[in-house]
Amino acid sequence: MNVIIPDDVKVRFRVPARIIGLVGCTLMIASIFMSWSYGHTVLDDVGYWGAPSPLQLYYAVLPVLGVLLLAVPLLGRGRLGRWAKLVAWNTSAKTCAIWSLAVTAVMIASIAIGLGGLVNVDPGGWVALAGALIAVASTLFLPDSPDPNLYRLKSPQWVQILAIVGVMAVLLFGAAYLLNFENADQFLTFGASVVGVVMVLRQFGIFSWLSIAAANNNRVLVTSAFVVAFAFPFTQNGSDANMSIASQVLIFAATALGLNIVVGLVGLLDLGYIAFLGAGAFTAAILSGSAFATIDWVPPFWLTVLIAGTVSSLLGLLIGAPTLRVSGDYLAIVTLAFGEIFRITMNNLDGNDGPNLTNGSNGISAIPDLNFFGFDFGKAHVIFGIDIGRFANYYWLMLVVIAIIIVVFMNLNYSRIGRGWVAIREDELAAEAMGVNTFALKLLAFAGGAFLAGVAGAVKAHYDVSVTPDQYVFLESAFLLAAVVLGGMGTVMGVLIGATILKLLPEKLRFFSDYRLLLFGLLMVIMMRFRPEGIIADERRQLEFHDEDDALAVEIQEEMRAKHVHLNPEPKEWDL
Amino acid sequence: MEYFLQQLINGLSLGALYALIAVGYTVVYGIVQLINFAHGEIFMIGAFGAYATWMILGQPTDWSTTMSLLVLLPAMLIGGMVASVTVALMTERFAYRPLRNAPRLAPLITAIGVSVFLQEFVRLFYGWVPGFPDAKSAIPFPSVPGLSGESLQFGEVLIQMPAVFTLAALAVCSVFLWYFVNRTKTGRAMVATSQDPDTARLMGINVDRVIMAAFALGAALAAIAGVAHGLRYGNIDFRMGFLAGLKAFTAAVLGGIGNIAGAVVGGLVLGVAEAMATSFIPGQFGSSAWKDVWAFALLILVLVFRPEGLLGAKVVDRA
Repeated sequence: MNVIIPDDVKVRFRVPARIIGLVGCTLMIASIFMSWSYGHTVLDDVGYWGAPSPLQLYYAVLPVLGVLLLAVPLLGRGRLGRWAKLVAWNTSAKTCAIWSLAVTAVMIASIAIGLGGLVNVDPGGWVALAGALIAVASTLFLPDSPDPNLYRLKSPQWVQILAIVGVMAVLLFGAAYLLNFENADQFLTFGASVVGVVMVLRQFGIFSWLSIAAANNNRVLVTSAFVVAFAFPFTQNGSDANMSIASQVLIFAATALGLNIVVGLVGLLDLGYIAFLGAGAFTAAILSGSAFATIDWVPPFWLTVLIAGTVSSLLGLLIGAPTLRVSGDYLAIVTLAFGEIFRITMNNLDGNDGPNLTNGSNGISAIPDLNFFGFDFGKAHVIFGIDIGRFANYYWLMLVVIAIIIVVFMNLNYSRIGRGWVAIREDELAAEAMGVNTFALKLLAFAGGAFLAGVAGAVKAHYDVSVTPDQYVFLESAFLLAAVVLGGMGTVMGVLIGATILKLLPEKLRFFSDYRLLLFGLLMVIMMRFRPEGIIADERRQLEFHDEDDALAVEIQEEMRAKHVHLNPEPKEWDL
Repeated sequence: MEYFLQQLINGLSLGALYALIAVGYTVVYGIVQLINFAHGEIFMIGAFGAYATWMILGQPTDWSTTMSLLVLLPAMLIGGMVASVTVALMTERFAYRPLRNAPRLAPLITAIGVSVFLQEFVRLFYGWVPGFPDAKSAIPFPSVPGLSGESLQFGEVLIQMPAVFTLAALAVCSVFLWYFVNRTKTGRAMVATSQDPDTARLMGINVDRVIMAAFALGAALAAIAGVAHGLRYGNIDFRMGFLAGLKAFTAAVLGGIGNIAGAVVGGLVLGVAEAMATSFIPGQFGSSAWKDVWAFALLILVLVFRPEGLLGAKVVDRA
């Protein structure tokens, strides 16, 4: 949001702008003590005077942040000292004001839609809207701050570890809390405030500091992330609804991580990836001992997983060996065609149009739950007095699968193979000239990605109870690709976030389910246009997409240097 | 023998449909090296545009044969072309042009987004126009007296009139394309741009306009294919562009992508191959349920053994 106001005007009016902005934020904070709506059925009943509802309290977080961001710089450069330069006060304040306005708009719209008309919005809502508008208008008059330099801040290790653990805890409880909203309006309001706060903190520079802290304490980060993910089922009190969503997210994420190797690291666009998931799922289903299975042999599950992965990767080799030589755009279409071949074939192997292997379009149903060394995944267990249901069992299993994928991914990323892959992605001819065996490496990525999808598919078959060909249509491949693109190609964190967004939002916002695909298509176009590197940008990738943006190159170089300085206490001359 | 001839005719008419769509892929690819994944949807929009024209004309069902062939059919074709060309130019302007210098993955992913968006747009909003049917399921395509349901008989061989229309349309379009590419300024500019965009620009060719012309040309032919598809199968559906687009791309690769004559030949070969596969492969695998599999298998085989296509001389391996 860049309204063009001359810089000298901004500098002259910065103090009055701050004060007016403060008034706006104060109005918003004051509004939570007023009634927002005439009726009591929308949001979480915001129709009382003098008694803010929980949702209104969360709403106040953004304006309170705004007050801090606007008031502290009033102290003046002298008293702030180095903090004046370390933090992007003005830009953060602007972001804060804009997101406050967005959340206010969501709430007012929820009231108006939920109760039938803007008449039902009480004074509180209007006061908040006025406050937000004032805040936005006044922050536009603030001069742009330089980019935040918070990552320059040296901090003792225990502070860093504490910060990481704190973030993880917030993540756990925030996610658990967010998932518990049943109504779309509450979910949207809370979600928008959370995103707003995150955006403000990003502008503030906290994440660049955190990313350095994380790089410094990689083990702590990974361990605490898994502890948090592992602990998630315990926050659900045995409720299955959210666990079902969570395990679906994990299955989706595991597949997307596999695709991420192929697309994100090697730059091979695979549009038929879902077929490998399907191959794994069908293999596992056929070997599951279901009444509809066409093969009587029931191997133990660990063997099934290996067979499923192998079948998938063999298919990957079969399709990859001929097409990876021609490279380029052809691969996208050939994999797409392969995806269709797979689906049609699974449909036709019904004993009528071909030998009976898959029961055709009916698929294989009644797949029994997993039984792992006597541990029955279908049964609920009680751990620490909390019911852990069927979905939680699969959730944990998928967590282990994802952990393995992430470990593989990370190690590959920094290995000889991984660097070869990235070289192929950046410039295949140059890589080949440098002695990279491009064909073998591409084939390895293709088959490896297929193997991971096959493993995920094997679990998915048991989780879903039935496997049918129409679960594996092209659109699912497009969704996987979207998760990778949206989150950030080539990054683990980004893909996890992308997968979560793409699976979670449709579950929680059912009212827009009919427009889901429309928005999804639009989102892909807009992402490619404005942020092709995704939400979480891989640094190399970001540079690749913006190779004419020198400022960005300098910024990334700065950040990497800072990371390097942190990792090496006695820095010598160091250049990228 | 009659059976073979019958299948040959069936294959050729199906192939003519693919060829008309494939030209759009090949022209755009030849100039901007973009697989316009959304081209199948442009074809679908052409069909829906023709249907809309029919609605606007007051859903004529009782026109005489002459009137239908001389007024109704051209009107539907033009309506379809207007719709498809408009949409194609808009996608070019708003989705592809900003990405012209981006890494290759970006426009391809955008194309998938555009494809999904256009499908959903038609599905959700076509029925919002007052009087229009809901597009969430297949819509019966209007019958054109003189074409729909009629057929020609040559001995034992039966040719449906829509098939004759498709073949005739392809013949006319091929002549037009040949003339356009070899004898008009825009056409020659197109060839020049596809050979070397930078030199073309230096020679005073407006590359942006050439690219727009390529998109428009492909879209216009796709609209004709859309009408032909509607007449042939009797209904249209928002999903029809996906498979047809994929097949047409296969045809374009088969003939040698970037080569217009190749697209026409590739389309015909693919159509005949599909028809022959379902009639002459013995046993269960010859049933029509497998015909798409054979078509795509052909695509993969071509890429393995002759990646430059049947007529193509263009270098395929663009690293």
